[in-house]
Amino acid sequence: MTTQLESTFHGHVTLGGVLRSEAIRFFSLNSTRILILVAVLVNVLIAAGTLWAMGLFSSQTAGVPGMPDTSSPAFTAEMVGSGLGFGQLILGALGVLLISGEFTTGSAVSTFLASPQRLRVLLAKSILITVLTAVVTLGSLLLSYLVSKPIAQNYGMALEFAGEPFQRVLWYGTLGVVMAALMGLGLGTLLRNSAGGITLLAAIFFVLPIATQLLIMTVEWFRNVAQFLPDQVGLGAAFPLSYQNNLEIWQQMLGVAGWALIPLLIGAWLLKVRDI
Amino acid sequence: MIQAQELTKRYGAKTVVDRVSFTVQPGQVTGFLGPNGAGKSTTMRMVVGLAKPTAGAVSVNGRRFTESRNPLTEVGTLLEAKSVHKSLTPRSHLRAMAATHSIPFTRVDEVLDLTGLKDVAGKKVGGFSLGMGQRLGIATALLGDPRVLILDEPVNGLDPEGVAWVRHLARSQAAAGKTVFISSHLMSEMAQTADHLIVIGRGRIMADAPITEFLDDGVAQTVVRAAELEALMTALAADGVQLTRVDATTLRVIGPDSEVIGRRALEAGIVLSELRPLQRTLEDAYMELTRDAVEYQSQDSSTTKGGK
Repeated sequence: MTTQLESTFHGHVTLGGVLRSEAIRFFSLNSTRILILVAVLVNVLIAAGTLWAMGLFSSQTAGVPGMPDTSSPAFTAEMVGSGLGFGQLILGALGVLLISGEFTTGSAVSTFLASPQRLRVLLAKSILITVLTAVVTLGSLLLSYLVSKPIAQNYGMALEFAGEPFQRVLWYGTLGVVMAALMGLGLGTLLRNSAGGITLLAAIFFVLPIATQLLIMTVEWFRNVAQFLPDQVGLGAAFPLSYQNNLEIWQQMLGVAGWALIPLLIGAWLLKVRDI
Repeated sequence: MIQAQELTKRYGAKTVVDRVSFTVQPGQVTGFLGPNGAGKSTTMRMVVGLAKPTAGAVSVNGRRFTESRNPLTEVGTLLEAKSVHKSLTPRSHLRAMAATHSIPFTRVDEVLDLTGLKDVAGKKVGGFSLGMGQRLGIATALLGDPRVLILDEPVNGLDPEGVAWVRHLARSQAAAGKTVFISSHLMSEMAQTADHLIVIGRGRIMADAPITEFLDDGVAQTVVRAAELEALMTALAADGVQLTRVDATTLRVIGPDSEVIGRRALEAGIVLSELRPLQRTLEDAYMELTRDAVEYQSQDSSTTKGGK
């Protein structure tokens, strides 16, 4: 019935293969390279700029009561990470583009012909964006530290690499950015549209907080809900001074995991059942 | 081999593919012919798992394509000319595709060479013409040296040289024992490429037969001209012979072939000024089939109107 004809190639489609494929495409695109470069630059420039401005300001207002204690290492460490909010948006947008680009350019057809098992593709993309976002964010925080250190010293501000405050910014901050990137990937999978996905992501980070602030004024218990919004919970663990909340660390991690995974899981289910 | 059973796709109330069953055999080129919007692309998308059938099933080499462990070496598919990210180059696109199945990158250069894209391998796909995009799509389909080729309108946008090349490619792949399934809305193209034809119209299979059957339905048709037409008609009259008078000296004969007609005329002493066998062309057969499809459509829309 069927012929004995065989392809000259005997490879099978594997998660590793799809991951390699995603990496080849990712690094062949200019748009992704530019976004990564912008993410690094924004982080470093905002860190250096904030620290410099704070140093200048505190040297002029030294001894004035009520001013932030710039000599505290916790305060300085948080200054170094002050670009992370923008990092969340930029790398979140990258997460959106990683999948929405497939649908806006039609390359989804090629992608899902090579791996008709669709969830394998989404898993590969999730791994890629997680590793990439983590490496880029850790790298830019380290670079920010190197640039900030002389500025901090110049103004007599304490900044220690090994100290708990900076380590918190480094690791929890990175986690917060990874959360945003996975959220972006999830929203991109849901909407299949670059502009829509990025707009929704920005709205969740920027518009939702304003809306909740208004709600808190009328409904007091909403304050508890607001703590779990992605702009708060995402970087809350990294910046205990800037984002004051009454959550335990495990509660915050639960919030981070929820925002990272829930849109992605809904997106995964839709990707499985919808036509390409 | 591709086997479809009762394959159906509905989008809302609209049935795009309606209980379609067919088998595409290996070792020959099977043409999938139908007017635009007949359901060709939707059927092909269901074969390779991009669209889910509303009902029915389709298998490739005995199993569902979505269960294949080596989809690229099993089936080579060309669906849309530009299913490639516009900012990628042909080389990076093909390398990314090859990486999924650990196909060596030397194969990428081979298919680039084969499809004549070597000189533009490093240029962005976004600037490509339709024909170039089509060539890249064919290169992608051939990448895994697959046992089954599914090509949706592969000659669209190709120059005559490219059209001839696709035809040769399809024939040689089939000659090597592969399953080749090509869609087109042009009968003339299929006539030169396909061994077997599946005709689809309005989502239904209108015909499924070897191409020779479309050319010859077994009954000869002949045009005969003679001054003594009445005498000729008497001479030819017999059971199973259909005679139609076209004008004062012309007759259309259905039934006996030209040799029989010539002999009868000779026996009756009638001079023939013309004796011409009519060849039913594929185009005629196709038009006939798709006219039915159109009739089916208008009937359908009038009943819908009546219902409202």
